[in-house]
Amino acid sequence: MHEIGLAAEIYRIARAVADENGGGPLESVTVAVGDLAAVEPPLLEFAWRAAVEGGPDAGAGLVVEWERARQDCAACGEIAERAPGSWLRLCPACDEPLRVTGGDALDVLRVVFSGAPERERGAA
Amino acid sequence: MTEVNVREKVLAANASAARGLRDAFRETGTLVVNLISSPGSGKTTLLEATARELKGRLRLGGLDGDIATDRDAQRLRDAGIPARQILTGGACHLDARQIEAALAEEGERLAGLDVLLIENVGNLICPTSYDLGEDFKVALLSVTEGDDKPFKYPAIFAKAAVTVLTKADLLPHVDFDLDAVVNQIAALNPPARVLVVSARTGQGMDGWFALLEEERARKRAAVPAAAVTA
Repeated sequence: MHEIGLAAEIYRIARAVADENGGGPLESVTVAVGDLAAVEPPLLEFAWRAAVEGGPDAGAGLVVEWERARQDCAACGEIAERAPGSWLRLCPACDEPLRVTGGDALDVLRVVFSGAPERERGAA
Repeated sequence: MTEVNVREKVLAANASAARGLRDAFRETGTLVVNLISSPGSGKTTLLEATARELKGRLRLGGLDGDIATDRDAQRLRDAGIPARQILTGGACHLDARQIEAALAEEGERLAGLDVLLIENVGNLICPTSYDLGEDFKVALLSVTEGDDKPFKYPAIFAKAAVTVLTKADLLPHVDFDLDAVVNQIAALNPPARVLVVSARTGQGMDGWFALLEEERARKRAAVPAAAVTA
């Protein structure tokens, strides 16, 4: 259940981004999760609710954007087929090991909060 | 409403601490291995045997992650090397900041080691995601756990440079297809090294000791000149 620790880090990063931009309470945070990152979105969302509950950002949403790994076979090219709940290790056509790239993302992408940044308020 | 686009790694704070550790270990030429396995696969037993065999030739130290008890660190101390327990409370993995803090608190006892052995919390999933500044991860799989585990827990076997199959003395008593496991690991991680050992009988242990000594020599040879003369 390392999602608890990850949710706490996501909250720390998002709150810092909002604070740096003069913002108020968080509305939503969007994260990219790769399918090889060993993170389950429902567990992460559950942990996120626990992380923000009872604080000034209670109710802030977490949006998970799923990023897929790419699997390539040297002979057959990109393989779109997936093993259930995981990724394929061997090419379904020729049984050779697949090269797997990407899919390890675990990034904060977007932070949405109420209130406008100082510089935009000044320019308005 | 304001929207700010960032692209910040969730584990950036851990990655930064791990970078600091890796830089420090490079200066001292300390080989660092991060052992990951399910509970009961024989991490501590492997390290006890390692301590007994290599402590006369190399300066070893251990960090042991567990939810509770300092039993593992005590076992390594009894085997003759300095070791510190890191109690995670309930957390299922070690992170780089815990390694930093433990090394700082131990001070000279764990400074400038030849080899630092980090025994992660028994868990095949979560520790995989956390860089501890190690040179490489070592996955342990005991033959009693079953021969389907590399494909069931692919992330750790894909990331570990070395997989040690333990309790090999029990092979005659269990249905464990060694070739199938070796093939699964090769499919997930073609350059990975696979060792078959029994810490109890000593079978295959020379290969493990030689691997540590070779990797330690390689690390030592790569110490920046400025650090040697300093």
